[in-house]
Amino acid sequence: MLYHSIRDRLLVLRGASLGLGAAFVLVLAPTTALAQNEPPDPEFRTSYGEMTFPEQFPDGTAISLTQWSHFVPRYDEWFQEYAQQWGEAHNVEVTVNMINLADLTSTLSASIAAEEGATVFEMVAPPTAFIDGLQSLADVNQAAAEAFGERSGTCERSSYLPATDTWYGFCHGWVPDPGDYRRSLWDDAGFPEGPVTYQDLLEGGAKIFEDNGLPVAVGMSPEIDSEFYARALIWSYGGSIQDEDGNVTFDSPEVLEAVRFQKELFENAMTPEVFSWNAASNNQTFIGGRASYIQNSISFYRSAQESAPEIAADTGFRPGLQGPGGEVKMPSHVWFIDVIPSYVTDPDELAAAKKFMLDLENNYASASYYSKFYNFPAFPSRSEQLFAEDGWLSDDPWGAEPPDKLGLLRTAEEWTAWLGYPGYANPAISEVYESHLLSSMMADVARGEKTPEEAIADTNAEIEEIFAKWRDRGMIGSGGD
Amino acid sequence: MNAGPTGSDRAAPTRPDGALARLALALERPRVLGALMLAPAVLYVVAFVAVPFFIAIALSMSDATVGDPQIDTFVGLDNFIAVVSQSGFRLALRNSLLITTLTVLILLVLATTAVELLARDFRGKRLVQVLFMIPWAMPVSLSAITWLWVLDSQYSPIDWVLVQIGLLGPGGTFGPSWNLFYLGREGLAIASIVLVDVWRTLPLATIIVLAGRLSIPRERLEQAQLDGAGFFRILFRIIIPALAPVLTVAILFTALLVIGEMSTIALLTRGGPGHSTQILPFWAYLKGINSGDLGQGAAIALFLFPVLLAAAIVALRFAYRAGRD
Amino acid sequence: MAILTTRALKKHYGRIIAVDGVDMETRDGELLAVLGPSGSGKTTLMRLVAGLEEPSAGELFIDGRSIVGVPPRSRNIAMVFQNYALYPNMTVRDNILFPLRARKMPPDEQRRQLDWVAGILEITDLLDRRPTRLSGGQSQRVALARAMVRTPDLFLFDEPLSSLDAQIRSQARGELRELHDRTGITTLYVTHDQTEALGLADRIMVMEKGTVHQIGTPQQLYYDPADTFVAGFIGDPPMNLLPLDGRIIGVRPEHFHLAAEAPGEEIALELDIEVEHLEFLGAEWLIYGVVRRGVTEQRRPPRVIGRLRQAAVPTLSTGETHHFVVTRRDACFFDPETGQRLSQAKVAVA
Repeated sequence: MLYHSIRDRLLVLRGASLGLGAAFVLVLAPTTALAQNEPPDPEFRTSYGEMTFPEQFPDGTAISLTQWSHFVPRYDEWFQEYAQQWGEAHNVEVTVNMINLADLTSTLSASIAAEEGATVFEMVAPPTAFIDGLQSLADVNQAAAEAFGERSGTCERSSYLPATDTWYGFCHGWVPDPGDYRRSLWDDAGFPEGPVTYQDLLEGGAKIFEDNGLPVAVGMSPEIDSEFYARALIWSYGGSIQDEDGNVTFDSPEVLEAVRFQKELFENAMTPEVFSWNAASNNQTFIGGRASYIQNSISFYRSAQESAPEIAADTGFRPGLQGPGGEVKMPSHVWFIDVIPSYVTDPDELAAAKKFMLDLENNYASASYYSKFYNFPAFPSRSEQLFAEDGWLSDDPWGAEPPDKLGLLRTAEEWTAWLGYPGYANPAISEVYESHLLSSMMADVARGEKTPEEAIADTNAEIEEIFAKWRDRGMIGSGGD
Repeated sequence: MNAGPTGSDRAAPTRPDGALARLALALERPRVLGALMLAPAVLYVVAFVAVPFFIAIALSMSDATVGDPQIDTFVGLDNFIAVVSQSGFRLALRNSLLITTLTVLILLVLATTAVELLARDFRGKRLVQVLFMIPWAMPVSLSAITWLWVLDSQYSPIDWVLVQIGLLGPGGTFGPSWNLFYLGREGLAIASIVLVDVWRTLPLATIIVLAGRLSIPRERLEQAQLDGAGFFRILFRIIIPALAPVLTVAILFTALLVIGEMSTIALLTRGGPGHSTQILPFWAYLKGINSGDLGQGAAIALFLFPVLLAAAIVALRFAYRAGRD
Repeated sequence: MAILTTRALKKHYGRIIAVDGVDMETRDGELLAVLGPSGSGKTTLMRLVAGLEEPSAGELFIDGRSIVGVPPRSRNIAMVFQNYALYPNMTVRDNILFPLRARKMPPDEQRRQLDWVAGILEITDLLDRRPTRLSGGQSQRVALARAMVRTPDLFLFDEPLSSLDAQIRSQARGELRELHDRTGITTLYVTHDQTEALGLADRIMVMEKGTVHQIGTPQQLYYDPADTFVAGFIGDPPMNLLPLDGRIIGVRPEHFHLAAEAPGEEIALELDIEVEHLEFLGAEWLIYGVVRRGVTEQRRPPRVIGRLRQAAVPTLSTGETHHFVVTRRDACFFDPETGQRLSQAKVAVA
C-alpha cells in the first residue's frame, strides 16, 4: 500500500511536470542514474496516431503473449520484466509464454482450430496462411505509422497482404542477416576485408579450403539459414521467386546462374556436411573454428564473445555479397510479427493487446539494447541511439572488439530484403519457404542428382502449382494497390 | 426392512429395497455390467480415434487451411491429385516404405536374436534386461541429442574411431575426408535413420517376441535337442515357426510405429539432403501445418491408410489363425 | 542296447538337493521303472541321464563310457515326455522324420525307417495329420514312433501314460510292454503310479528325497521291502507297520488270518483287532481296524488294514473284536531307528 501511494504520487508529479502536449507520459522504473549509453526508461503513452487508450484498464483485464524463446537470453529476461511493469502500470494481468520457435505455427494452428489460446502470438516469419483466422491490425499499423514515421521495408512486406488489402500482423522488429567471415583466414587468402562478391567467396573460399581444410559453411539443408542463403544468392544474382505483383518469375537465367555458382562453390570449397545441418549447425561450426564464412545473424557472435572469445575477435562482418551486377540483397533473418487470432473478442483484452504492441514499439530502444542489437526496430525513429553516427552500433556497449565491428549494420535496411522480395509475403511464398524447395533444389544440384536446368524447371513447376492454389483462394496478386 | 412396515414388503423379502440395492442387483446382470465396463473404452475409441480419423478424411477432401480450418468446401480428390506431383511427396512415399521395410527386417533378426539371449539363464541377465529396455524409457529429446552427436558431421565418435584405425582420412579406405557426413549423404542418412528407428523400437519388438518365446513349452525345445537338432535347426524349425504369430504382431506394431512417426526425421535430417530422407508424416506436417494447407496435409497423411489397413487386416488374420493351431 | 550306470550322482539347485548320491546300474535291455512320490528326484535323475541337466557331482556312464558333458543331441538317448512334446508346426510324418533329418540320414533310409516304425505303431494313416488333430492315444504313439525311429541306445519315458484316459491306459501299458519286448532297448520309465511300475517293469527302483531306497523286481519290492519307506509305499493298501518288542513288524493286509483259519506254521504275531469299517471289493473285503492287544503298548492304539477273502467275512461285523495271527514266514522286521530291514530276504534274488 505504502509503495503504491508513493508511486502514485510520483506519477502525478511527473504527469504534472510533463503534462503538456498530446502524450501522457508515465515513468515507472525507479529513477536511478542511467549510464549515458543505456536506453531511456520505458514510457507508456495513451495515444498513438488516432488510437487512444485508457491509462488503466478495468479490473480483470488480462492478456497472454505466446512468443519464441529469444536467441539472446538477455532479451527474454528484459522482456519478462518489461511485460510485468507494463501490466502493473495498466492494471492488466500479462502472461508471457516463451516456446520453441519451431512450435509456433503448430501452436497457433491448434489455437485457431480450438478457438481459444493466447491473445497475441509473436511469429518468426509472416504467418500468411493464417490470415483467415487473424484479426485485422490495420488500426495498429496506421497508428504506428502516424506516431513513429517511416517503417522498414522488410517489416511492411511481412505484415500486409495486398491481394486482400489486409494488415494481418504488426511487425515490431526484424533482424539483419550479415555475412560473417574469419578475418585471419581471409587476410591470408588475400582478402583483407573479407569477401565482397560471390566471386570472392568462391576464389577465397576455395583457397582457404585447399590451404586449411576449412570450408565455406553456407547450408543446403531443409532449415531456415539454408533457405535464406539460397534466397540471398538468387536475389543478388538478380533472380527472384515472384515479382511485385505475385507472378512466378523463378525460371530465369539469373536463377540459373546463381544455382550454377552454388554448384561450383560446393565442389571447390565445401563438404557434404551442409546437407545435414540444422539451424544451429553453421553457428556451431563457425564458433568451433571450422568454417571460413557463414551467413547468419549476430546472435552467434554474441554467444561466441563468451564461449570462444578468440573466434569472436577474429570474426568480421560483411553486408552481404555482391552478385555479378553488383547488387547485394540479404534476407531479414527473422521478424517479430505480432498477430491476434479472431477468437479474441473481449474489447478490453483487444485494446490492451494493441496498446502493448504500440508501447513496445515506442520503447524499442530497450528491445534493441537488451537483445544486444539482434532486434532492429520496425520504425527506425524508435531506436535512434542504435543508428546514430556515434551510437550503439558504432561503439558497441556489449564489448565488440573493435567497438565499431557491427557498424556496417547501420546500413542494413539498404541491403535487406524480405521473403516475398520484390513483392509481398503471401501464403504461396510462405509454402515455398516452409516446404524447403530452394534448399532442396540447391542440394539436388550440388549432389549431382539433377542438372541446374532440371532442378530449376522442377522447382519452378512446384512453385507454379503452389501459387496457382493460393491464387485460386484469392491470396496472391497486387489487389487494389 | 424395519422401515417397511407394510405386510406386502415383508412378504417379498428378496425384492431389493432402495436405489443402491437395486443398482447392485442390476450390476450383477452380465449385460449391464459388460456395457458399463466397456463404456470407457468405447468412449476413448470414439473420441480419440474415430472422430480424429473422420475429421482427417473430411479435411483431406476440403480446402481448409490453418487460418480457416472450417471444413466447408468439398474439393473431392483434388488434394490427393495435387500432392502426387510434388517431388517431396514422391520421395516421402518411397522413403516411408523403404525405411519401414528395412527397419522391420532388421528388427526381426535382432529381436529374435535378443530373445534367444534373454530366454536363457546367465549371470547378469537382469542387468542386460534393464539395458535392453533403456531406449524405450529414454526421453526422445535426450536420445536425439545422443544420436545427433554420434552422427555429427564433424565430431562423430564413429568417425573418430575410423580415423584412429586408419580407415578414414587421407589414404583411408573411406576416402580422404576426415568425416563420413552420415546425415549429409542419401544412403548413409537413410541408414542412420533406420539405425535410430531400430534402436528405438527394438525394446518393443523384443518384448512382444519374448512373450511368444517364453510360451513355447520347454519340453518341445528339449525334445528337439534330444532328437539331435543343433542351435540353428531348433531356431529355424522349432522356435521361429512357433513365433510366427507374435512375429506378425511385432512386424505390424513396429511397422505402424515407424511409418507413422516423424520425430526421428524431424530431429536428424528434417528430410534432407534435398528431400531424399523425406517421409510422409513429416511432409504432411510441413505442408499441412507449417505451410498452412490442412487439406493437403491430411491427404498426405492419409495416403497410405488403405494400404496399411489392408496389411494390418491380413497380418492380424494370419496371426489369429496361426495362434489357433 | 546299452547299460546305464550312475555313480554317486548328485544334483542340487542352490540349496535344494534334487538327486542325492544315486548309485545304480541297469541291465542290458531291461525295462526299469523309477518309482517315487512327487519331489523324489526321479524326473531330475532322468533329465540328468538325458543331458538336459548337468550333474553337480558324480558320474554317468553308458556302456562304461562317461557321458557327463556330452550334449543331449550326441547321447543317442530318446525321451518321451509326459505331454509328448510333438512339434505342432509339423505333420506327423515330419515329426517322426525330425530326428533322422537332424542326423542327416539319407532320404531313402529315412523312408524305410518311417515305414517300419509307422507299421509297428499302426499310425500309417495319421502321417499327414497335424498333432493338434490327434487324440491322446494317437499322440502317444506318434511320440513313441519319433523316439523309436532312430533306434536309440536308451529310452527314457517320463510318465508317458499319465495324460491318457483311464480306459485306454491299461491297453497302452500292454502295448508299451510289447513294444519294449520287440525292440529290446534298455528303458528307464519314470512314474509315480505303482500299478504301472509293478505291471510293466522288469525291475523297479524306488526313490524318495533324492535317494534310492531299493532296486528290485516287483516281487522283491512287494514281499521283501528293503526298508519301511518301500514297505509303506508299495502295495495298495500298503504294508501295515506295527511296533513289536523294540522292532517294527511289517504285515501285508492279506497276511492277517483269523485265528480260526490260521495255517499250521510258526506264528510271528497274535493280535486283537476291533473292526471299525468294512469295505467290499468284490472278491475280497478290506477290514479297517484298531489293534487292541498284541503289539507294544502305545498312547494311541495303531490302526491296521487287512484283506480277507470273501468267504471269511460274513462272520465279522463292525464293532466286534477278533483275534488274528500272522505267520513268521509272512512277517518282515525293521529297525525302528533306521527303518532298515532286519530279517532275511524271503524271495531269492533273481
